[in-house]
Amino acid sequence: MAATPQDMLGARLPRKEDLRLVTGTGKYLADILLPGMLHAVFVRSEYAHARIRGIDTSEALALHGVVAVYTGIDFKDTVKPMPQPVVQPNLPARYPTFWPLAIDKVKHHGEPVALVIARDKYVAVDAAELVVVDYEELTPVLDPERALEDGSPLVHEEDGSNEIFAMTLTGGLTEEEQQRNADAVERIFQGADIVVKERFRVHRTGITPMEPRGVLCDWNDADGLTAWITTQRPHIDRLALIDLLDIPGEQVRVIAPRDQGGGFGVKAPFYRENLAIAYAARALKRPVRWIESRYESLMNVGQERDQVNYLEVAARKDGKLLALRNRGVADNGVGTTGVYWGFVMPFLGAVEMPNAYTWEAGDVRLRVATTNKASLTPSRAFGHFPTRFAIERAVDMVARRVGMEPSALRRMNLVPSLPYTSVTNEYYDSGDFLRVWDNLMAQVDLPAFRAEQAAARAAGRYLGIGFGCGVELSGVASELLVPMENQPGYGAATVRLDPRGKVLVFGGDAPGGQGHETTTAQVVASLFGIQASDVVVTTGDTGTTPFGSGSIGARAGSYFVSAVAEACGELKDKITRILAHDLQIEASVQHFEFKNGEVVYLGDRSKRKSFRDAVERIIMFPINMPEGEVGGLEYTAFFEAAKPMICFNADCCIVEVNVDTGDFEIRRWVTSEDVGTVINPNIVDGQMHGAIVQGLSNAMFEEFVYDERGQQMSADFEHYKLATAADVPDIEITYATTPCPHTPLGTRGIGEGRPSSVPGALTNAVCDALAPFGIEIAELPLRPNLVWRKLREARGEG
Amino acid sequence: MPVVKLTVNGTRYEEEVPERLLLVDFLRERLALTGTHVGCTFEGVCGACTIHLDGEAVKSCLMLAVQADGHEITTIEGLAGDTLTPLQAAFREHHSLQCGFCTPGILMNMSDFLRENPDPSEDEIRRGLVGNLCRCTGYVHIVRAVKDAARRMRGEA
Amino acid sequence: MFPARIEHYARPRTVAEALAALSRCEPGEAIFLAGGQSAMQAIKSRMLRPQALVDLQAVAELKGITLTGGALTIGAMTRYADIARDARLGGAFGALTDAASHVGDRQVRNRGTIGGSVCWNYVAACTPTAVLATGGRMNLGATSGATRSLAADDFLLGPLETARQDDELLLSVSWDAPAARTGSAYAKWGLVTDALPVIGVGVSVTQDASGKCVQARVALAGLAGGAQRGPAAEVLLMGSAGDAATIDAAFAALAAEADTHSDLSADADYRRQLIQSLGREVAQRAFDRARA
Repeated sequence: MAATPQDMLGARLPRKEDLRLVTGTGKYLADILLPGMLHAVFVRSEYAHARIRGIDTSEALALHGVVAVYTGIDFKDTVKPMPQPVVQPNLPARYPTFWPLAIDKVKHHGEPVALVIARDKYVAVDAAELVVVDYEELTPVLDPERALEDGSPLVHEEDGSNEIFAMTLTGGLTEEEQQRNADAVERIFQGADIVVKERFRVHRTGITPMEPRGVLCDWNDADGLTAWITTQRPHIDRLALIDLLDIPGEQVRVIAPRDQGGGFGVKAPFYRENLAIAYAARALKRPVRWIESRYESLMNVGQERDQVNYLEVAARKDGKLLALRNRGVADNGVGTTGVYWGFVMPFLGAVEMPNAYTWEAGDVRLRVATTNKASLTPSRAFGHFPTRFAIERAVDMVARRVGMEPSALRRMNLVPSLPYTSVTNEYYDSGDFLRVWDNLMAQVDLPAFRAEQAAARAAGRYLGIGFGCGVELSGVASELLVPMENQPGYGAATVRLDPRGKVLVFGGDAPGGQGHETTTAQVVASLFGIQASDVVVTTGDTGTTPFGSGSIGARAGSYFVSAVAEACGELKDKITRILAHDLQIEASVQHFEFKNGEVVYLGDRSKRKSFRDAVERIIMFPINMPEGEVGGLEYTAFFEAAKPMICFNADCCIVEVNVDTGDFEIRRWVTSEDVGTVINPNIVDGQMHGAIVQGLSNAMFEEFVYDERGQQMSADFEHYKLATAADVPDIEITYATTPCPHTPLGTRGIGEGRPSSVPGALTNAVCDALAPFGIEIAELPLRPNLVWRKLREARGEG
Repeated sequence: MPVVKLTVNGTRYEEEVPERLLLVDFLRERLALTGTHVGCTFEGVCGACTIHLDGEAVKSCLMLAVQADGHEITTIEGLAGDTLTPLQAAFREHHSLQCGFCTPGILMNMSDFLRENPDPSEDEIRRGLVGNLCRCTGYVHIVRAVKDAARRMRGEA
Repeated sequence: MFPARIEHYARPRTVAEALAALSRCEPGEAIFLAGGQSAMQAIKSRMLRPQALVDLQAVAELKGITLTGGALTIGAMTRYADIARDARLGGAFGALTDAASHVGDRQVRNRGTIGGSVCWNYVAACTPTAVLATGGRMNLGATSGATRSLAADDFLLGPLETARQDDELLLSVSWDAPAARTGSAYAKWGLVTDALPVIGVGVSVTQDASGKCVQARVALAGLAGGAQRGPAAEVLLMGSAGDAATIDAAFAALAAEADTHSDLSADADYRRQLIQSLGREVAQRAFDRARA
């Protein structure tokens, strides 16, 4: 597929990453082996909640090959406690104090209590078995709603409450304003034709990447610390290590390996394990590596969703949605992860609750409870998988009550024109929701489906159709990211031209499979009129890249490539300024074309220079320069959008339900997407496929289960079930794009929030199929067992 | 310590190994063939470590290195010759991988699968993939690439 | 996780060598390693900490599928993949191929063996149930040189428990030549494709010339007690014409009586539903095969 540079933007270019990845020559963290490297294993709590009476490490230390064993107390005076500002949001909350290892008390099953370092990783596991911890088991706090009641045992005793965070997201900042708003909302409910009221429960699940976490730290007294971390945020991790270990800034370099086996938010927090390994490497002056086992991973990270939303929706009988009122309770888990603390996800989930619909008013409140479970950690569809499920289901319930097609009711209530500010004060910058919706409906012949459905029902078969949609963040503007995570939202990129006409791009974010090398190269190639193969993209190394807040929140297509484009623009300016001078013409950048490896003066096409020569002249031969110009071609650009930006998508799902067993089959999944200008359609398609299947897998199969003692029962892939290829349908992606007016190329950041509309669409389809039984499902996971139970209840057999 | 003699990607090795050393660790850490990945604790479900043992797809995390004595092993590094196999090429062309962590295991399994079933249906491909978890792609492009590779390997356009 | 220390590894080439290798170890110190698809999970998680491993991979006489005058013998080291693709094993032995075709995944089927599975006798497993449904016999050899043969019913004692003694090696699983008009089938239900059975049902039936069911064996997987027979269904199938109404009644009776439990995968009532719906499908298929 030889795309010319001009149509590079939008080309289905095979990825630059793939040659190494299909031949097994990628370099993931676990593939980096340093001479003399030691291996770390964490001893983890067997209890959800227990006092540590003592830890005996003597037998472990005595084992041949063991170099060190640390316990919590070793860190108490040598490492600063969390929280520290660099990883603490500007949101008022009860931030728990903690160190890398548990001290005095363990607060969730799987919490690290000791760290064993050995010369061989098998021996490290042997030694970890020999560490004896004397526990006194305490009553665990496991139910978030009960955790908020008076008299509940406390997870963090010093906090005096299990409520880590609470917020009213509507009405204003003062309690009076919020009450006035609540009263107004109440009046709307009083006068409404229809009120739908339901408790929506979404279980604990998330997006477990295939590559678990890992850290490799190397220390020497001259250069300090080099830390390779599986991370989406190397620059934030670096600052955290500097602040917490009190190491001078020039002595810390963090490298996110070029190849990372997925992140999806799970690799975005600052984790206590990173700190412990860095500490050990410094103490031992040897490289120390920790590779997380799947057990540890499923035990500690990737757990998200887990909310109850008491949602009420007021509507008119013609289907117009009027107001929403929600009381959310999220199960935060223990909260001991930097940056997110468990509650930042439900916070954003509450913000995103109103979705793409126009509401006259809303009263949205959230309480987040600390429990003796692993901390919630971010997962794609950050915080709003549960709130989106609730709202999308509630909309269908309204449609059923007023006797309208759910799709028609949705269209009627979609925000008709943008920009728009939601009742939770979320800004929707641009796009055309109606066009996206109409494109979706054009893919589905609804009257024909209804006819087929009726015929099937007559024959005892139950088909259903379900819809859902989602407004998703396209990057996170500083305006939101500074309060939410205490970090800037801008994108940063350094573009360095090479005398041989090649381009090196450096970015501080750290992708994990999204194809940034390729999309970035396509952007650069299209702007300079060269081939994507002429562009090399480096990410994730704090030693060589400009500051970036990380690969989070769909920042690449929105903020990063925009910074790349702006840097390229600056360099094109300089190249053409100097070229105009050399050609002795009065011209500026708009009078030149960068095409097919040449820079051509549009006023006289014979006046041209190869891109390579033009670049080499400026870098290598900076004589006879225009007044005030110096040589060299490198530029770092920072891109900040004036306002937050969004993308939008809609889903349609068709299912068939077996009413004897509750088994259901997805017969079709079709979507409509506004992703702005597309850089590489293959990659965008792939993002959507993956996100939708993640949504399905979360909704149908995956669940983190804690028993009544707080033991985590689902810490291996036999029990935590991911969808296999045979469990999910083919996915049809269609587009109705609107270029984003706020980015230089019209691109939008995509993919992050994409799973969130999936569970609603799926459950709506199942409930549509079961409409003759009057079944409305308000909980996940949606499994045959649940559908069957609902059918039994509906038939009066339950 | 036992000595294993085996062929990996066409090269003969004779190595002393502890009895308990997993084959996947032998390949990754002793032979530096790090294309074979580890994604499970003990359960052997994810399939990222799939290799060929005497030509058949097996999980190298569920074998000891000593068990491989006398056998012929191919890892992802040995799948291609001078050029990519049609399956590898199809994976590139159809964007069948994102993070790439599961990809070596999938390629090893599917290359064995296509040998056994050169003209598979979509359903057969999906069932053949059950032993490989992929988190990124939703499997859509993987299925497409396997189908396309099968077609090319059968000599069809 | 990585295995705990293992002191000895042996790879015998014959049954005699295998038994000799075992007898050189202290009792309980060594385990036989068949395909290792379950045992290695247990060894890696350190639930099992064998001092010695006797790897059976090179014992040729333990491998292969032999059909002699209708009687079937499957060597203990025969892999699922070999059973699944053996075209001779339809009809009376259909349950075996049904089960073997859907154990785990391709990679597991390329290593895992029938003998390993029945000796491991995991609480929720397909092969023990299919062997039980079809009335297989376990042929064992001991270090003393003695041999014995046990019906599956007597061999499969409960989850992770069999009648095999520590000094015994499973040599093969065998079946007498089935009566004419015998058919068997197996199917399971799991949350994801080809997962361990939440419920699995195996059925074997024989009809006489008039179509009357003269032999019926039903076995279940997925109960807390492990692979077990379902006599409540068998008695109703016996003597019937294998008609839909009888099959329905048989599995309704079995579902009502089965000691189901609730766990992460399904609740107890849903397991009853699965016994009924899967049982119906499987019995129908078994009768179809008997009639074919």
